[in-house]
Amino acid sequence: MRFSISALLALSLVTLPDLASAHHSIQAQFDIYKTITVAGTVARIEFINPHSYLTVNVKDADGKVTKWAFEMTGLAGLRRAGLSRADRGGLKPGDELTVIALAARDGSNSGLAQELKMADGRDFKLLADAPDAPPATSR
Amino acid sequence: MPVSSRIIATAAVICFAGALLLAQGPAPRPRTVNAPPKPAGATPHAPDGHPDLTGVWNGLGDNLNGVPNQLANNGIVIESETAAHDLHGGQVVTVFPRNTNGAQNNEVAERAASLLRRSGSNRPIYKPEYWDMVKYNDHNANEEDPSNNCMPAGVPRGAIPSYIGQFPTYMMFVYPGQGGLIATQTMYRMIPTDGRKHTPLQELDGTYTGESIGRWEGDTFIVDSWGFNANTWFDQIGGYMHSENMHVIERFHRDGNTLTWTATVEDPDYLLEPWTTTPRVALLNPRPDAMLPESQPCSERDLAHTVTKEHH
Repeated sequence: MRFSISALLALSLVTLPDLASAHHSIQAQFDIYKTITVAGTVARIEFINPHSYLTVNVKDADGKVTKWAFEMTGLAGLRRAGLSRADRGGLKPGDELTVIALAARDGSNSGLAQELKMADGRDFKLLADAPDAPPATSR
Repeated sequence: MPVSSRIIATAAVICFAGALLLAQGPAPRPRTVNAPPKPAGATPHAPDGHPDLTGVWNGLGDNLNGVPNQLANNGIVIESETAAHDLHGGQVVTVFPRNTNGAQNNEVAERAASLLRRSGSNRPIYKPEYWDMVKYNDHNANEEDPSNNCMPAGVPRGAIPSYIGQFPTYMMFVYPGQGGLIATQTMYRMIPTDGRKHTPLQELDGTYTGESIGRWEGDTFIVDSWGFNANTWFDQIGGYMHSENMHVIERFHRDGNTLTWTATVEDPDYLLEPWTTTPRVALLNPRPDAMLPESQPCSERDLAHTVTKEHH
């Protein structure tokens, strides 16, 4: 499969301020010390409760498409990160990108999106560290 | 912004993202403490002489759907980086992690916030045979919370509506869906104030908001409700289940730009005695052209992927 999962142990403390009050505990679903990297194309972006979702189509060498689901911050957080309408610099279905996310603890094709790197060079950081957090060493 | 406030504000941001997007001016400013707001300004009155409750009651930056915030909702008020107390009993509560903007392990912060929410002293008293079930509900809330998968929060868990429209013979209450501590769908209530009486309880099919009848007692608006189903809990946290025989009396009192709300829950099946919430205070949206924004639809996709019982 084309996507690579690099399980990188975060040596620094991971802070996720924008999702701290999600309707479930972050650590009940995601491994806050394990990052995955998934490359594909945007299938769908949904601004919904309780979490926004980005669905990514990931194609393997045989052309088989697997869907990945990435939970994201709320609308305001996305907007702060520069993500809104596609014609204001946001995503649209078909865009190629690489998603850096916290891994799902149940091993499913999902994660908590931290950063979106677009093929054209745009880079959206969705879950910034706290202002005085030590520099992240894992990404 | 202090971390705890940021947690609250973030939840509010999730809920009010639509409001922020639609705002044509400065958005309500997030507060750095969560003490109930002090009233200001005059209380408007309707032509019939009663206070006019009409308005968009989402004026707090840390406000979840017209509720001041969910920490204060559960009886804990944070006044500064180092001071917090139990609104009901008055006791000082230890704030951990410290309420600052410093970097923190989110895992620790989440767990600490969960504990803090449960340190309030104002709790309903269940009949002893139901104590284990309430504890089970709270411990297993990811699976057991009947509202957390985009169902209605119900009454009185929905607390203060984000919009109230006051008309001569009825009130209109609107509660946007939440994406904060719980994930719920939008709920509305049309509450008659024309003097009608309740339908006998046994003739009602239980619903999420029940049969509500409004009346005035002086300057306080009373909403008397029964006819509920048993598929909601009656406070934000705690696993507080109720029966179809629950009877709820809500009191709304407007003082200038604030609206103070309490609910008294009677449940002869489960509770030893009626229980009254710690008063909650909503703030009027200060914008003269305030509108209630569209509530994002709710689609719950996470609970099937949770691998531990941790929750808020």
